[in-house]
Amino acid sequence: MPPRKLYFENVRVGDELPAMAKAPIDRVQLARYAAATNDYNPLNVDEPAAKAVGMPSVVAPSTLGLGFLGQLVTDWARGGQVKKAQARFTRMLWPTDTLVCKGRVSDRWGEGGKYFVELDVWAENQKGELVVRGTVLLKVFYSFEDETRFRTGQPPLIVTVPRQSILAAPPPPPAPRPSVGKGTAKPGKAPTTKKPAAKKPAARTAPPKKAVKPAKKASKPAKKKK
Amino acid sequence: MLDRSAVGRTTPPTLNEVERGAIRRFAEALGDYNPIYFDAEYARASGYANVAAPPSFPISFATGSDLRELVGVPARNLLLGEVSFEYERPIVAGDRLLVTSRVSEISDRAGPAGRVEVAVIEDEGRDEEGQIVFRARRSYVVRATREA
Repeated sequence: MPPRKLYFENVRVGDELPAMAKAPIDRVQLARYAAATNDYNPLNVDEPAAKAVGMPSVVAPSTLGLGFLGQLVTDWARGGQVKKAQARFTRMLWPTDTLVCKGRVSDRWGEGGKYFVELDVWAENQKGELVVRGTVLLKVFYSFEDETRFRTGQPPLIVTVPRQSILAAPPPPPAPRPSVGKGTAKPGKAPTTKKPAAKKPAARTAPPKKAVKPAKKASKPAKKKK
Repeated sequence: MLDRSAVGRTTPPTLNEVERGAIRRFAEALGDYNPIYFDAEYARASGYANVAAPPSFPISFATGSDLRELVGVPARNLLLGEVSFEYERPIVAGDRLLVTSRVSEISDRAGPAGRVEVAVIEDEGRDEEGQIVFRARRSYVVRATREA
């Protein structure tokens, strides 16, 4: 069966990635991950050493959660290339933690025959607490035709699509739980909205202010509205 | 205490050969059985030059020095707060990458429980022609410990 592909033309801002539930983290996984990363930090693999510094048990490396988010994205974006990924760890990961990874398309644009999709991604533990959140930038083909042109050495399909985030407001990313003092709140830059900005990412829910730069006349004005 | 004079400290380039087996074990450790990590033919049909490495694979690269040597604090006292990657192209099996790490920042920041020390390390991997393949940025905070 040929690999299923993700194409730009099928992606919309606000699309949700299918949530991915991982099996509970266990110590065998930690041992395998330690071997795979060649990182044998005792706090990840040596129970007595972890307890000696006051931890209830060994702790999982936070990058394990990042790996899970990578899986979420590559499963969804088959045929796409991860160009950038960024993540912030908000909570420690422990054996028996069961993570659910989620994501949403936050932006998409095309210029000069290159097409990009930006995602908000995050993972929650079994208590619904946010453990890691981040953003991913993907490069994808516009369509099957665009990909075929690339493979046969022809110039790319050129469709100019301005960044959608300045045209339409996608639903806000999930409220990252108030993970105290983690500095998710960014005061001082909230655009003036009519209703009191109760949600954190005010910038996203706000009506598109006078565009940052005059977006080129979009071939198709974004009319995504939920 | 972080070594304030560490900023700018750079490790010599360390050769990392990206092996198929290493990719397989990394993907298995994550529980990620996407065939692009296991099956070269499938990976090629998906647009990769060979079996691909998972996005977080650079975590496994040797960078020529451990954290203690770089910033003066053992790894177990450092908590990874943030990480980012940038890829010029996908990393695939067979790549031979020269990886260097550099301490780019050591500072104090306000944390939930008072000021915390922060160390930022930037890694970069180049192929043998000197072309950049990936960049990474790791931001650590020093863990408060009760041990002696």
